[in-house]
Amino acid sequence: MSYLELQNVKKSFGAINALQGVDFQIGAGEAVGLMGDNGAGKSTLMKIIAGNVQPTSGQIFVDGEDTVFASPLDARKLGIEIVYQDLALCDNLTAAANVFLGRELQAGFGQFHKLRHAAMNRRAAELFAELKSETRPHDLVEQMSGGQRQAVALARTRLSDPKLVLLDEPTAAISVRQVAEVLARIAQLRDTGHAVILVSHRMGDVFEVCDRVAVLRRGRKIADKPIGDTSLEEVTGLITGALEEA
Amino acid sequence: MLSDKRISILIDNMIWIILLVVFTFFVFQSEHFLTERNISNILTAAAVLGVLVIGQTFVLISGNFDLSTESTLGLAALMGLWLIVPAGAPTFGGGVFLNPYLSIAATLATGAAIGYVIGVLITFGRMHNFIVTLAVLLIIRGFMLAFSEGAPVNGFNNPDADVFYWLGHQTAFVLPGLGKITVAVVATGLLFLIGHFILKHHRFGRELYAIGGNRDAAEAMGINTERRIRQVYMISGLLAALAGWMLAGRVVSIQSNLGEGFIFTVFAGAVIGGVSLQGGRGTMLGALGGVLLLSTIDRGLNLMHVSVFWVKVIQGLIILIAMFLDAQRARLSELNLSKAIEKSKESG
Ligand SMILES: Nc1ncnc2c1ncn2[C@@H]1O[C@H](COP(=O)(O)OP(=O)(O)OP(=O)(O)O)[C@@H](O)[C@H]1O
Ligand SMILES: [Mg+2]
Repeated sequence: MSYLELQNVKKSFGAINALQGVDFQIGAGEAVGLMGDNGAGKSTLMKIIAGNVQPTSGQIFVDGEDTVFASPLDARKLGIEIVYQDLALCDNLTAAANVFLGRELQAGFGQFHKLRHAAMNRRAAELFAELKSETRPHDLVEQMSGGQRQAVALARTRLSDPKLVLLDEPTAAISVRQVAEVLARIAQLRDTGHAVILVSHRMGDVFEVCDRVAVLRRGRKIADKPIGDTSLEEVTGLITGALEEA
Repeated sequence: MLSDKRISILIDNMIWIILLVVFTFFVFQSEHFLTERNISNILTAAAVLGVLVIGQTFVLISGNFDLSTESTLGLAALMGLWLIVPAGAPTFGGGVFLNPYLSIAATLATGAAIGYVIGVLITFGRMHNFIVTLAVLLIIRGFMLAFSEGAPVNGFNNPDADVFYWLGHQTAFVLPGLGKITVAVVATGLLFLIGHFILKHHRFGRELYAIGGNRDAAEAMGINTERRIRQVYMISGLLAALAGWMLAGRVVSIQSNLGEGFIFTVFAGAVIGGVSLQGGRGTMLGALGGVLLLSTIDRGLNLMHVSVFWVKVIQGLIILIAMFLDAQRARLSELNLSKAIEKSKESG
């Protein structure tokens, strides 16, 4: 059974129909590449799965159960982690504070809690080391390079043991070495029974690490097939519109 | 050359250096400045301002404004006394003769309720915080006029009003060198400590910084930003009412214009202390520095017999300088960001 299933999901922003009835599913141990031109609706779909955007209509099933995400917390509770395309960072906070935002480590009893600054900094430092990033937990995000910022957003997905990881262009700003790290991480997640959706414009990455590729065009899913059954040329044609459907 | 980091640390702590310089200046200007009586006066004057600034700091860090607190302060003071003193001359109360403790509870609850309504208008009503709090400022002022019918309410020789004088005036203890420390000063000091703890060591504070820094990101990380904003306005309203209670014990009679124009000083105190108007930046201790600086300047000019005209001009200049510093801080972080982007382009 698939872990996540979307049925006829639609989303409109005023007059813009960002998603016009998308069906999609993903199971444990699967890595799916989601591709499409700018404005095709990829990020909107990711945000819906992450509980950050509510669909206009359609259904979401998690583990076969009809689910409504009222907030990103609901999705998180079910084991869905995301790296947003815009990274969703607060520039005025430190790297560690951003990593733990919304799920800070606390000490205390009853209603009285205190942030565990040192513990969060330590854990964040470990995560950055795992990501082979130079990011330091104490640094303010506003002082960081694009790659360091991306590392902060990636580190968030490693705080828990998620069931499904959504990566919306996670490699746009990072170095070759770090890209290799992220791809290895995706492979590792997949091989340990996790589900991963990778949104990327880098076709090479998708073909290297994904089992399946889905293509969106103008809010519609026009292809969804195993990597083995398609080719770089076909996917390129689907994205650009040279091919209607596959 | 100083590094950016050093510069920003310097700017963040500038307030204490300025305070020291200004303080020393006044010590040399007036022999009455460094006296127990004067220090005690500075601290007591700082207390009411401080309570308002604490509330405003929470609001500002969350990326919002609250212009209404000067009116809430006035209303709380007026209403608190009005509810307990007799009607007609010379006290001009409501003749309700409410138990003074109940009266205090009622005013604090009113302050919190005003804040909550503001929060609801801004979050559910999707209205702009500036307009909402400005409108509430005017509305409350109107209510104050209606309450008092233009006559000043006072608690002369009324034992029931003691609870106001206790918070506003009563000496808690005497410290050598600092003179009489009033209950008001102790209370404000405690509130600053609590505020500092919440901002720095509690999740609530962390979430306010996140909301002020990038509200969409905070939302995406599961923070209930609208709820936090309502809570922040509630805190601000509650503290404004508390400040009103404190002030009622210090002024002889309460006019319907009590607190009018005070909001400028509140903003100046917070901003001089390093709390940014663009949200997400500043600390409670910095705000405390700002409050102490303003009341030091106020008392110092007073002792030097500077004319009211110059006092106003100087207050205006201080607000301008505070805004200037705030703008520089914002520019500094933009500089950092553009440098970071450059760096990522080079490495990418
Ligand atoms: N919050 C929003 N309000 C209004 N329109 C939106 C909003 N978010 C997305 N859209 C619109 O929905 C459509 C799909 O956007 P989306 O961000 O999902 O595209 P994308 O496939 O991720 O593109 P890209 O490759 O550029 O990231 C676009 O036309 C966009 O303008
Ligand atoms: Mg996108």
